[in-house]
Amino acid sequence: MAHYKLRKAEPEDVTDILRLIKELAKIVEKEDQVMLTEKDLLEDGFGEHPFYHCIVAEVPAEQQKVEGYSVIGFAMYYFTYDPWIGKLLYLEDFFVMKEYRCLGIGSEILKNLSVTALKSGCNSMHFIVAQSNEASINFYKRRGALDLSLAEGWRLFRIDKQCLLNLSAEE
Amino acid sequence: MANFILRNAEPKDVSDILRLIKELAKFEEMEEQVVLTEKELLEDGFGDHPFYHCVVAEVPREKQSEEGYTVVGFAMYYFTYDPWIGKLLYLEDFYVMKEFRGYGIGSEILKLLSERAVKTRCSSMHFIVAEWNKPSIEFYKRRGASDLSLEEGWRLFEINKQSLLKMSAK
Repeated sequence: MAHYKLRKAEPEDVTDILRLIKELAKIVEKEDQVMLTEKDLLEDGFGEHPFYHCIVAEVPAEQQKVEGYSVIGFAMYYFTYDPWIGKLLYLEDFFVMKEYRCLGIGSEILKNLSVTALKSGCNSMHFIVAQSNEASINFYKRRGALDLSLAEGWRLFRIDKQCLLNLSAEE
Repeated sequence: MANFILRNAEPKDVSDILRLIKELAKFEEMEEQVVLTEKELLEDGFGDHPFYHCVVAEVPREKQSEEGYTVVGFAMYYFTYDPWIGKLLYLEDFYVMKEFRGYGIGSEILKLLSERAVKTRCSSMHFIVAEWNKPSIEFYKRRGASDLSLEEGWRLFEINKQSLLKMSAK
């Protein structure tokens, strides 16, 4: 059985975090859409006001299955606010390298996040999943997740930068 | 035409913010689900680490609402993070009292938030809208919003407190 530990990400982890973000994006064939750099991740996650938090899963050197990598999973999250119930923990990205699946690392990460959510006074954890991603949907449903889009009809919208610029310049 | 100003919410605004949150929830027939209190809004929004930000729309005393309110609209937002593009501005709640609609207050609020998003180097503004809320969907689409749920199939999920407790106890 693999030994691993979960810990809070540190500034030195930004290279691994970016690598794992890109690996996850590659799965959905969107690797070229990852614009973020290590410098952005460093400033945004480890500056005075962190815009995100990360936990990483790390294996000891002798357990490495893929040469050179000991950080083999991560979860990126931050706190959001629901005007009806208050603080929420929002799970933004969550990934374990293929070679390390089915060892319970994902479950441990989710448990760790649940503890963090409760300790920080959060009432729920929210996240989005692509409706085509049945494996993830089932993973979450097994742990009690409810599809709010199905139950309550919520749709996610975006106003991109160009439109923001247009709107802010309007007379 | 209504005179109004937009300004950052202050601690004293929490009663009006809660009132407007409840008014908006009432419109969605969910008023009893608002369990947040003024005390929580105060701690969570105006403490050391704010979990949300608010702008409010205020009219002069002589233009106050039928019930005597001068704070007539608000938007609640916070910053989120996209692992592909970085900082985003997330618009959580956005409401103008019915009797003050049609004066451009909503548009001005959205313009202010757009400026703020650009100033803080956000790549986008995100928000969710209920699929039955056609007027809001149209309002946002007119301003360039795209429906990511439609285009990319995203669905919002929730793990509630009960399930969090279960998982953390395992």
